[in-house]
Amino acid sequence: MTESLILSPPTLDCTGLTTREINQQLKKLAAAGADTVDLLNPQGRHNLAVAIEAPLKVRIRGPVGYYCGGLSEGVDIEVDGPCGWSVGENLMAGRILVKGNASACAAASAHGGTVCILGSAGPRAGISLKGGTLIVQGNVGHSSAFMMQAGTFIICGDAGHSLGDSLYDGTIYVGGEIASLGADAQLAPMTDEDNALLEQQLSPYGLATQDYAFKKIVCAKQLYHFKAQDFSKFKDAY
Amino acid sequence: MDDPILHTSSTFNPQVIAAIQERAELGRYMIRGFGAFRNVPRLDDLVFLTASMTRLPLEGYREKCDTRTVLGTRFAKRPMELEIPITVAGMSFGALSKNAKVALGQAATWLGTSTTTGDGGMLPAERDASAKLVYQCLPSRYGFNPKDLKKADAIEIVIGQGAKPGGGGLLMGQKVNAVVAGMRTLPEGVDQRSPSRHPDWIGPDDLRIKIEELREATDWEIPIYIKMGATRVKDDVKLAVKAGADVIVLDGMEGGTAATQSIFQEHSGIPTLPALVQAVEALKEIGVYGEVQLVISGGIRSGPDVAKALALGADAVSIGTSALIAMGCNKPVYIEDYQALGTEPYHCHHCHTGRCPVGITTQDEDLMARLPIEEASTHVANYLQSMVMEAQSLARSCGKSSVHNLEREDLVALTLEASAMAKLPLAGTDFILGQS
Ligand code: SF4
Repeated sequence: MTESLILSPPTLDCTGLTTREINQQLKKLAAAGADTVDLLNPQGRHNLAVAIEAPLKVRIRGPVGYYCGGLSEGVDIEVDGPCGWSVGENLMAGRILVKGNASACAAASAHGGTVCILGSAGPRAGISLKGGTLIVQGNVGHSSAFMMQAGTFIICGDAGHSLGDSLYDGTIYVGGEIASLGADAQLAPMTDEDNALLEQQLSPYGLATQDYAFKKIVCAKQLYHFKAQDFSKFKDAY
Repeated sequence: MDDPILHTSSTFNPQVIAAIQERAELGRYMIRGFGAFRNVPRLDDLVFLTASMTRLPLEGYREKCDTRTVLGTRFAKRPMELEIPITVAGMSFGALSKNAKVALGQAATWLGTSTTTGDGGMLPAERDASAKLVYQCLPSRYGFNPKDLKKADAIEIVIGQGAKPGGGGLLMGQKVNAVVAGMRTLPEGVDQRSPSRHPDWIGPDDLRIKIEELREATDWEIPIYIKMGATRVKDDVKLAVKAGADVIVLDGMEGGTAATQSIFQEHSGIPTLPALVQAVEALKEIGVYGEVQLVISGGIRSGPDVAKALALGADAVSIGTSALIAMGCNKPVYIEDYQALGTEPYHCHHCHTGRCPVGITTQDEDLMARLPIEEASTHVANYLQSMVMEAQSLARSCGKSSVHNLEREDLVALTLEASAMAKLPLAGTDFILGQS
């Protein structure tokens, strides 16, 4: 690609570029210490802004496909539109803000940072979450927080079936209805610390804790160890 | 009176009786280490037609027989260049002790080959010890870190393994100490059940996009392998190639594990021999044989196994259990500790307990001290070297100046099963079961 495509302030038009060229350009800008770049015409393309290791702010002006911001550390991404599967997959640090809906597996296996979806998210949101924070202003689909290991998952709307199935640890908050809890997930009483944490996490996005009746879900720890004679529990859980 | 003649039921033999009674106590399935115990048709059932009048052998001790092996030539800028056609398979730090992991890395480095991380992330000491390290991307993603990804020499996306195709890993609580738990983001002491599906993609069409993500993250530099347990091999291999794999790693049912439900080891997957034959056929059918490399694993123990696998069309083999045996697994030492586990040397499969008598599959400091790194590395390196020499000897005796020039034509089968599975003639006949 030619240098002429980089205008000031940095703007990158995805039209006519390969994903590889776009990501190489983003990495170059990050290395050069640029603080913001606008990505135009993403057209639902997969794997945008993958593995960026800098506090670069990437404003994506339109819809993106799978793995937006995946494997990144420290990046600050804003998506002006919906996103496909696995946004913020394995995020280590930084922030991804999606102004539309997210498809399946939002923040899958993220280790840190914050993924915030202002719309709704599909099934398996927060699957295998290993740290950081996932916020969904709308609803989430079935099997969300499946095998979650750590971190905070805030759902302002409703949660689909099997929420938190086989989770190991971490905390889930749900502001709306829960279709059903998964194996080994249980409700726990809300405390002042929980409310303070929700306030702190939600206020930057203009969301008010008191607009929702948050419930807290944690691990019941009944599946931590193989035990004899837990007949129904183990048959269903394994 | 004479000793009575004892009758034994074939249906309810002593093992079956013991297994029923153990489950009656436990109330769950049984969990153990190692691979399938049952006998299966294997590479042992083939023999080489070495040179005689119609073919000319190479001088066994002098003439050159190349072993250089290159994996990942399809898309990667930096393919994996190996001195020998034997790699060390993925085994986790957690299942294995730190000393065992470092020794495998060091031995592989000495022989100019690669070793592989496992379910639990990359150990810094393992990276340091290994000149060529394959970084596994597993369903659990325990400790998966983009920084480590960028330090890798290849990526292996694990779909499954031969000991438990379709099943997730297990690490019993006694092995989940503070260090292992920290690396995996798990509560200390938990009986860890790894997932069997990846969290961020479901089918081969998604995998294609996942592979692009990993390539973008590593600037298209390093090869991407896809490792699978051998089940519906032909379709699975074709789909993996379509998804964009540079290398297929196929693990037959003899492949080992540190812990899984014993039912998987005995009742799922197909043996390495037919798996290999089907994988080669699949690659040929879609015209990518030679472009996408094939690594075969599961019960590889010797130079003849290596040579036969290459003759049947593999580019390399991978070893796990046999490398551990080389460093002392099941060695007749510390016998009372084997007995304390309810077993004996040569019969141990108790890796899941974390009480490995020889310090390989344990996180206990005292037991690990029984495995000095230098000695373990030397044993694995010697063993690898011996296998390479054996494979070269067989190749030379077939008149080949490279182990990769061995071919199907050099082999015949000793049993009807092997004839049918390998599609090779029964020794001394023109008969191929199922073809003739
Ligand atoms: S000796 Fe150690 S490594 Fe070998 S089977 Fe027994 S526990 Fe496993």
